[in-house]
Amino acid sequence: MTRAARPSFCRAGGTPLLTVEEELKMHAVDSRPTPADTPQAPPPRHVSRVRNRSQRDSRVAWLLSLPTLLILIGMLGYPLYRMIVLSFQNMRLKELFSGATPPWAGVDQYTKALTDGVFWGVVGRTAAFTVVSVTLSVLAGLGIALLMRRVHAKVRIFMMIAMMFVWALPQLVAAQSFRWLTDSDFGVLNYVLTQLGFDYATHSWFVNPWEGWAVITTLVVWAGIPFLAISLSAGLTQVPKELLEAATVDGASAWQALRNITLPILKPLLMIVTTLSVIWNFGLFTQNWALRDGHPEPVYQTLATFSYTQAFGRSSYSYGSAISVITVLLMLGVMVFYIRQMFKIGEVD
Amino acid sequence: MARHDDGVVTVGRSRIGTFFANTTGIVFGLVMIFPVYWVLNTAFKPDSEVRSFTPTFFPNDFTLDNFRSALGEELFIPSMINGLIITAMAVAAALVVGFLAALAIARFSFYGRKAIILIILAVQLVPFLALLIPLFLMLQGANLTNSLVGVALVYLVLLLPYTVWTLRGFISGIPRELDEAAMIDGCTRAQVFWRIILPLTGPGLVATSVYGFIQAWNEFIIINTLNNPQKQNLMAWLLYNQTERGTAWGPLMAGAIITSIPVVVFFLIIQRNIATGLTAGAVKG
Repeated sequence: MTRAARPSFCRAGGTPLLTVEEELKMHAVDSRPTPADTPQAPPPRHVSRVRNRSQRDSRVAWLLSLPTLLILIGMLGYPLYRMIVLSFQNMRLKELFSGATPPWAGVDQYTKALTDGVFWGVVGRTAAFTVVSVTLSVLAGLGIALLMRRVHAKVRIFMMIAMMFVWALPQLVAAQSFRWLTDSDFGVLNYVLTQLGFDYATHSWFVNPWEGWAVITTLVVWAGIPFLAISLSAGLTQVPKELLEAATVDGASAWQALRNITLPILKPLLMIVTTLSVIWNFGLFTQNWALRDGHPEPVYQTLATFSYTQAFGRSSYSYGSAISVITVLLMLGVMVFYIRQMFKIGEVD
Repeated sequence: MARHDDGVVTVGRSRIGTFFANTTGIVFGLVMIFPVYWVLNTAFKPDSEVRSFTPTFFPNDFTLDNFRSALGEELFIPSMINGLIITAMAVAAALVVGFLAALAIARFSFYGRKAIILIILAVQLVPFLALLIPLFLMLQGANLTNSLVGVALVYLVLLLPYTVWTLRGFISGIPRELDEAAMIDGCTRAQVFWRIILPLTGPGLVATSVYGFIQAWNEFIIINTLNNPQKQNLMAWLLYNQTERGTAWGPLMAGAIITSIPVVVFFLIIQRNIATGLTAGAVKG
């Protein structure tokens, strides 16, 4: 009964969604913090027939959820358990082929990781990349979203179309296109820079890690802008025009209006898209993997590629697992924050 | 002027400011689209133009050779078929299984409902690649590596949480009053499901399966790890192709275009709905 009153009704009539983030965003946009008007349907306790029915309902509901739960337990829960067990063993190629139980190794794998400078380098690099790329893409997304309100309608449509194509492009294809743009011999980037008077002929972008990471970051930010800008621009339509006009009449500068009116209203949405960006960018794999031909040099390793390389490149399945466990633990805080945020904005009722 | 009717906020608007904003917007759009354009441009050039130190910004000698040579690659068509089979299996299974769970969450209030929601939400955040090591070992033990079914199973898990979550949204969008009215008229729960909920969730099922298709089609790391070169999908083919013959840019870009076409088309179709849905929701609010 309560749901029908929610704006989400319009979606049943043929306005499908794209991603879960989309949906979050919509609700972030839609949501009015009015817990009072979305009460849980209270189980009517006073009629025993109804109670029987609700017990039966409960059984049906569990039955319906059962296949999903079994698949999640079997293909996610169990692997998670196996991964943790594996991280306390020492599994190598020998055990993989013989099927024997790998010898126990206690916390050796963790000690190895935590005392290894290379591992800490990877952690620091992944964290630094996440901070830089998320900051850049959220700021750019916000800037583009604000810009889209000021431009002519036709320019806005052009910006939208350009962003849609970038958004639709598969990650690997996007990475391939950047690999081609930055090719040292025939890449158009070197050509353009050389034409502009810099000596970039046959310049290799991945010799200097700063330059290489600049390319990777540009790729990630470029690919991330459409989601952020379009989400935030949808969020901006929630900012009441009257408020902004009133502020202008009262002599507020554009900056003051942004700071004191727009951003506070946008905050819940901003938090969610930022958190999602952190989760995605922290797990960077495709971009550095593809740009480095599937063999990232040590300076281009992130936690995800490092764990993968240890396991599948060097057959150190246990060490790879330990690194994965550490990665998940590092992300746990962000994930909990995200889920709490979702409950807070009332997406989960 | 016309720009005053386009519904944008007029705060701090000046003529110079508007000109500046429009220019920035156009430049931004061009910069964004350039890499995409460059892929297209490269794919339609002959090799002599591709491997030239002065790149041409339009193909002088328009050619389809690159597409021919990509399609003629030994594993291209098999990879495409593999990808289609795996994707179809994973999406269909996720849809059936996920719909049931979505129904439970959206339409029943029961003990443990919140816990299931929490699991569904949390599971979407787990970095799936982290689980690749144990999944690989499990599938290896079950003799499901080098098999399309094994990959489809993994993709099913990849798609399932999202499928449940999205379908839940669509089902919640159907007014409960409809169910109740039908039950008062003597429908059973099963009939309510078949006659009301399932038909009304149609668009949701389409959107969810399209998104599932995109997800499964774009994946390449899992399949690359689990299967040998004969059992890859197109995305993984692109990666292999890159490693082995890194300099054949023309065919690579042509292959990338063929691989991207279904994704881009599907994406743009459902994205249009999203954009209107978004603004509609925002205006309604």
